[in-house]
Amino acid sequence: MFRQFLEQVDDKNIYLITSLGIFLGFFILVGVFLLVMKKEEVNYMSQLPLTEEEDKI
Amino acid sequence: MTEKFYYDNKIVRNFAVATIVWGIIGMSIGLLIATQLFAPSMNLGNQYTTFGRIRPLHTNAVIFAFVGNAIFMGVYYSLQRLLKARMFSDVLSKVHFWGWQLVIVATVITLPLGFTTSHEYAEMEWPIDIGITLIWVVFGINMFGTIIKRREKHMYVAIWFYIATFVTVAVLHIVNSIQLPISAFKSYYLFAGVQDALVQWWYGHNAVAFFLTTPYLGMMYYFLPKMANRPIYSYKLSILHFWSLIFIYIWAGPHHLLYTSLPSWAQSLGVAFSVMLIAPSWGGMINGLLTLRGAWDKVREDATLKFMVVGLTAYGMATFEGPMLAFKQINAIAHYTDWIVAHVHVGALGWNGFLTFAILYWLIPRIYRTTLYSKKLANFHFWTGTLGIIFYAVPLYFAGFTQGLMWKEFTEEGILRYPNFLETLIQILPMYVLRSIGGALYLVGVIVMTYNLIKTAKAGKLLADEPAEALPLPETYVAVGSDKKLHRVLERKPMVFLVLSLIVILIGGGVEMMPTFTIESNIPTIASVKPYTPLELHGRDVYIKEGCVNCHSQMIRPFRSETERYGEYSKAGEFVYDHPHLWGSKRTGPDLQRLGNKYSNAWHYNHMLDPQTMSPGSIMPAYDWLVLQELDTTTTIAKINAMRTLGVPYAEGYEHQANKDLDIQAKAIALDLQQNNVKVKSDREIIALIAYLQRLGTDIKAK
Repeated sequence: MFRQFLEQVDDKNIYLITSLGIFLGFFILVGVFLLVMKKEEVNYMSQLPLTEEEDKI
Repeated sequence: MTEKFYYDNKIVRNFAVATIVWGIIGMSIGLLIATQLFAPSMNLGNQYTTFGRIRPLHTNAVIFAFVGNAIFMGVYYSLQRLLKARMFSDVLSKVHFWGWQLVIVATVITLPLGFTTSHEYAEMEWPIDIGITLIWVVFGINMFGTIIKRREKHMYVAIWFYIATFVTVAVLHIVNSIQLPISAFKSYYLFAGVQDALVQWWYGHNAVAFFLTTPYLGMMYYFLPKMANRPIYSYKLSILHFWSLIFIYIWAGPHHLLYTSLPSWAQSLGVAFSVMLIAPSWGGMINGLLTLRGAWDKVREDATLKFMVVGLTAYGMATFEGPMLAFKQINAIAHYTDWIVAHVHVGALGWNGFLTFAILYWLIPRIYRTTLYSKKLANFHFWTGTLGIIFYAVPLYFAGFTQGLMWKEFTEEGILRYPNFLETLIQILPMYVLRSIGGALYLVGVIVMTYNLIKTAKAGKLLADEPAEALPLPETYVAVGSDKKLHRVLERKPMVFLVLSLIVILIGGGVEMMPTFTIESNIPTIASVKPYTPLELHGRDVYIKEGCVNCHSQMIRPFRSETERYGEYSKAGEFVYDHPHLWGSKRTGPDLQRLGNKYSNAWHYNHMLDPQTMSPGSIMPAYDWLVLQELDTTTTIAKINAMRTLGVPYAEGYEHQANKDLDIQAKAIALDLQQNNVKVKSDREIIALIAYLQRLGTDIKAK
């Protein structure tokens, strides 16, 4: 299916290096997200399932 | 000004009922096939209840009917409350519910009839695949419609897991179902051999990830805080858990194909990511268990929390074992054995089963506005269930180790210590008996739960429309303070979230699948490998129909223990005409790749008719109906044409010659049988099957 445009790339190593790059980049991004999160946001979000009152039995 | 609205509890109740009904059915079929493994006569003497046909029924019933309905139950309950909105459309909810049950009923009818594609965990034929796609889209519209009309701006982490589930299952199901139909209930997969195997296990592994795991994690993140009445231990950890889990999981599929003909770099990639998977998996488990810190006194009394704790622990064990099994050294012993069966059942019985039970025990009394009928019975269920899991898993671990090591053992002289496969099987039969006792115990627990829940429901009254109120969202949202931060923005934008999750899973999927599409140039083509003759092609379809692949592999790994036992190891180039591949994943019987010309036609005939006369002690069921049933040769033209479309080099016009060739080959086999005192007509299914079995692996077999 994608064969036609892959055949034009001689050096397949590029995929491996790209995967590594994507992988590192991805986790750095998620890490940054977590580091900049404020405490009050975290508290607000984690309380979401507990905000309804009506189903306390 | 607050708005009044009503949560739809009726749809939640309906899915709960379906969960329980299909759960009992799926598990009962599981118990039936478990007994067939030590008492072949338990196939009830007919083709519709024989292992090869109903093992897929068990797996699909448990995965898509039991777990599937439980997912929808959990999602429909929690989504409405987390978003402070009724489900988008009552009509869509109903279409979703009844459509899904229809898909299941169609599966229950077609699989025993032998309509199967043979792709593990996706055996349903193409019309059902289309049905699944449509219903899944209905579910998606209903879910996203609800998200869009929500009254809570921010999406809780559980909803991210639901979104990822929706989008990934859609992608997996579509790619794994690309088939070319030749009749109403028969089709061939687009890909062949190695490529087909990779697609199938990319799907198979990620079905575990995105059908059995991510929706349940979402449910855990909602229901566990509710049950323990405290927020999740670490919300930040849940974010890390979500993104890393969906990112890493999608790459791990090739660990199902270690030491096979799959290119080794794809295998290594699968191993590396499988090992990494332990981090997010355990992160999630720890997040769940630590939520209960300071609440362990409740666990002692509350059966619901007990189920959650054991469920989470089972998740932890299964996700520890997964990466371990992905190591090539361990996989070399474990693959094809009952170890894998034990592994998946720790996940299915412990994680999926116990979480489902916990949610049912928590949810049913609430929507029926009453309390649980009997806590004692719930505790009884908990203990029988836990014992059931132990009795199921431990004997099978033992069986797996034992058989895996026996297959590999050599004498000092350098010959196989157990050259007869059957010896290694007979050794573990007592374990099969114990396993079915474990399964029975587990099922008893479920039946007790059903009684308990029916009593509970009868004591109360369903609150079909539960009143609630909340402030509507402002027309335009003005972000203040920390709401401007990137992830906060994301939490408000479901569609962006959907696209991002899609990209994340496509990266892994894409890089892993690239070799699938380039592989053709990597496979050393083998000149002597030729397309199947028309009779062999039909025989192959009989093999598929009877589900032989459920017990017999066709993939000899490059170990001395395997080449000694079975012959030359499998080469990628041998499978280029195999639509679909039939590599298999479990050896209840021996590998069949080099079976061709090993025995006489008469041996095969007698063996299929009564396996125990040819192999005393064998647990293979008899296939006497193959002698009675005529081979359907009206489809020959369609089959040859379809294969040609898929790239199998049959000459133009050969389809008109095919049935003549078929007849000649069938008559030759019948004649040979007759010379060996076996009288059988040449137009029977068994003749085609023998032709196929005699062809297996002979293309490159040294004469």
